[in-house]
Amino acid sequence: MQTQDEITGEFQRPKLNYLNNGTTLKSWLLTKDHKRIALMYLISVSAFFMMGGIYASIIRLELLTPASDLLETGTYNKVFTQHGILMIFFFLIPSIPAVLGNFLIPIMIGAKDLALPRVNLLSLYLYWIGGSFALWGLMQGGVDTGWTFYVPYSTTFSNTYVMAVGLGIFINGFSSILTGLNFIVTVHTMRAPGMTWFRLPLFVWAHYAVSLVMVLGTPVIAITILLMALERVAHVGIFDPSIGGDPILFQHLFWFYSHPAVYIMVLPGMGVVSELISNFSRKKIFGYEFIAFSSIAIAVFGFLVWGHHMFVSGQSIYAGMVFSFLTMVVAVPSAIKMFNWTATMYKGSISYDTPMLYGIGFMGLFLIGGLTGLFLGAIGLTVHLTDTYFVVAHFHYVMVGGQVIAYLGGIHYWWPKITGKMYSEFWGKISAMLVFVGFNLTFFPQFILGYQGMPRRYAAYPPEFQVLNIFSTAGASVLAIGFLMPAIYLIHSLIWGKEAGPNPWMLPGLEWRTSSPPPTENFLEPPVVTWEAYEFGEDSGLDLEEARRRAAVAPVA
Amino acid sequence: MSDNHSEEHHEEQHIGIRGYLGVFGILVVGTIVTYYIALSDLDSSLFHGANTLVALLIAFFKMSCVMLFFMHVRWSPRLVWLSAVGSFFWLAIMFAFTMQDYFTRGSGVFGG
Amino acid sequence: MATHVDTHGEYHPPGLQHQFEDMKQQEESVSIGMWMFLVQEIMFFGGLFTVYLVFRSRFPMAFAAGSNHLNVVMGFANTLVLIVSSLTMALTVYYAQKGNRNMQVILIILTMIFGATFLGVKVVEYKEKYDDGLVPVTGLNRKVKASAGEEHGEEPAKPCWEGAHEEHEYINPKGEFQWHDCSLAKKAENEGFLTPTEKIGYYNPASGQIDANKFRDKVRIYFWIYFAMTGLHALHMIVGLILMSWLLYKAWKNTFSAEYYMPVEMSGLYWHFVDIVWIFLFPLLYLLGRHFIAHGG
Repeated sequence: MQTQDEITGEFQRPKLNYLNNGTTLKSWLLTKDHKRIALMYLISVSAFFMMGGIYASIIRLELLTPASDLLETGTYNKVFTQHGILMIFFFLIPSIPAVLGNFLIPIMIGAKDLALPRVNLLSLYLYWIGGSFALWGLMQGGVDTGWTFYVPYSTTFSNTYVMAVGLGIFINGFSSILTGLNFIVTVHTMRAPGMTWFRLPLFVWAHYAVSLVMVLGTPVIAITILLMALERVAHVGIFDPSIGGDPILFQHLFWFYSHPAVYIMVLPGMGVVSELISNFSRKKIFGYEFIAFSSIAIAVFGFLVWGHHMFVSGQSIYAGMVFSFLTMVVAVPSAIKMFNWTATMYKGSISYDTPMLYGIGFMGLFLIGGLTGLFLGAIGLTVHLTDTYFVVAHFHYVMVGGQVIAYLGGIHYWWPKITGKMYSEFWGKISAMLVFVGFNLTFFPQFILGYQGMPRRYAAYPPEFQVLNIFSTAGASVLAIGFLMPAIYLIHSLIWGKEAGPNPWMLPGLEWRTSSPPPTENFLEPPVVTWEAYEFGEDSGLDLEEARRRAAVAPVA
Repeated sequence: MSDNHSEEHHEEQHIGIRGYLGVFGILVVGTIVTYYIALSDLDSSLFHGANTLVALLIAFFKMSCVMLFFMHVRWSPRLVWLSAVGSFFWLAIMFAFTMQDYFTRGSGVFGG
Repeated sequence: MATHVDTHGEYHPPGLQHQFEDMKQQEESVSIGMWMFLVQEIMFFGGLFTVYLVFRSRFPMAFAAGSNHLNVVMGFANTLVLIVSSLTMALTVYYAQKGNRNMQVILIILTMIFGATFLGVKVVEYKEKYDDGLVPVTGLNRKVKASAGEEHGEEPAKPCWEGAHEEHEYINPKGEFQWHDCSLAKKAENEGFLTPTEKIGYYNPASGQIDANKFRDKVRIYFWIYFAMTGLHALHMIVGLILMSWLLYKAWKNTFSAEYYMPVEMSGLYWHFVDIVWIFLFPLLYLLGRHFIAHGG
């Protein structure tokens, strides 16, 4: 494996690894190596995150004052629409699966690559092509329909680049489908000898569940966008009540995907958190099977609740009751995970490294986000809260406080494996805390604002809401710094970081039994798995003496 | 992980050309039956919606023949069966949960 | 394809990709992968079937009326053509497993001929709709200017024209959707099986009678669904033909044998799937209203 200097204990980078195995542009753009594809996704996804973040900053700047003074309302409509589209379709949905899933799943199951590497490359290309169309549309003038593209505005009245952006999202959807397809096949057929289903890391289980949602749900948004585009061009009237159509039909089709989409976003995050909590508590995860099956349960039940986005839009009350009840039910598997993570931490040997800070942060913030989702799922209460900032706060708590924080935690946790370098723990901890404080300051006031009645998607608001909006914008500034810092110190670590060695955190997972960075074929010798998941003992091959020795000599700074 | 490979081979060739022609014959007969039943008014003689139900049942039967024999699902691992059945189950979710809205709206709400 | 010997000097089966240990793993993976792709295709078409379901349950008579104007002979023929092509496709896989190159090539060509026939018939059908003013998009129908002296002003809502639409002169200066036959709706009204939603949908609120324009709008929705569903299906058919061309090239080069035939099997799965979609489209689009007119009613 990786060689280690006998006196200083420093690791040497493996001479041939996936990063330097082929240095031409062609070897990267035509690669079949899942790790290189993951890195290219990382760069793209980060770029989209930054663009979405700029739009968010513009929103928060506008909302500093009650009047619509920074932007015209029409422009503001474009800004929040584009913030939503970029963040949801081009950052949140791909992020963890395409970056961390792509990189880690083959390694975690002991395989050389995903089952279908060329399909993986096609996924990346489709992502770039879809993203290009969307960006082109944005630069030409953008869209102002809201990321939800509701009809009749999007089909009949909006004078913006709906078709271009819609096409971009349509193509991007197929990138998502192919990724999910690839993961399902890989987990079924590429596991190393001895890697049974119940020895799989929960990260893999989570991605398997996510892949089911991707394959079953994404085609429906594709057909919905197609229908909307046809309606925009042909004006036949399937969504026009005056000729016998129904605008709610669009919403049914749209939300059939878009609700499971939020589980596409959060389930991988939960997979990461399972890894973080167990590994940084140095304790076998509590209730492995429960967490594994709850991922599948969330994936399945997530398809049964989409009407909770449509309580006040015109669907029947009876349908509303059914969807409301099922919304309560779908919260149960998530709660099961929360309990199990907490139980894992109890009497664990917790080390508060940066990834663990993000993991614990996820637990608290997703808890608030999830509970407020229940408020919104109750029909009586939702009538008051729909289309207010309460909804905005809720989904940012689960998506940013949940998914983005899990993503950051995962990036930090596996950074040494991906790059072979350690980042600065000091700056990592600082930025984790800035993110946590900034996030809460940004979005908690929005719960209050929404409850008090401030509507969402409004550039102007009554003056009595200004104080809370100022808090929110102040928080956003802190959050922005918290997000920018990792970009700086992570890139810094690429050049000046300490060599990480194969197992810097001293953990039993299969990904820590190969060099950092790994060779192109992931393992020098194909592994044979003889230990259970999350086994923190010598039976799992973890060299505890070595761990203690290293911790004594060179503490992780 | 998977079934015995050579056994699978053997069974696929087991149906043989005659088998494929037989399934083909069934499909053609099914198509003809669909057409002629569509001409007779079952909605009045049986119950409302009978024509549609019969047409769908025949279509399901034809689809099953194509899936089991032409697509070799009969000799495929359980995962393939699960995918085939599961996807129809998911379609059913989409249909049922959408239609439960439309069936429970008041009659004055939707329509020109 | 020549057999390979890898660096360890072991026999490397033809077509085995580097990430797999053996052919069995590759075959399993490719098979599950193709089935996952078909699952997502089912959901893709499923969205359109949902739209069909919603509108047919709201306006059954309009759907029946529209359906009866489809060319059922061509639809029936097309169904048989696709079933034959499925047979030739299944036999292609059979012969690929046996390594019989000539039979493979013949059968792929036959499959492609039948696929092309299907598309040809669809073109004829679509042309018929174009000629009769049944394309639901303004401007995409045959344009015929009004005869001299005839002024085409705003048409007030009026009770239906009786009789078949062929008896009337085809005047269509803007290439709009043309529909003047409310006979089915009237029949349903007389015999008492018009649903309450249909009454709201078809009636002129002022006169309380079936309004030709309102009924026409619902039939227009039917034709839109017809074109959307068969159009998407035809697109998949075209992709299938491209896939077959590639397969033909590979089969011609004698690529496939008992050891390596999965690409043929997987292409077959796709082709059969396209056939299955049509097996549902035929009764749902072409046959749903035939029992109303079969006895001359």
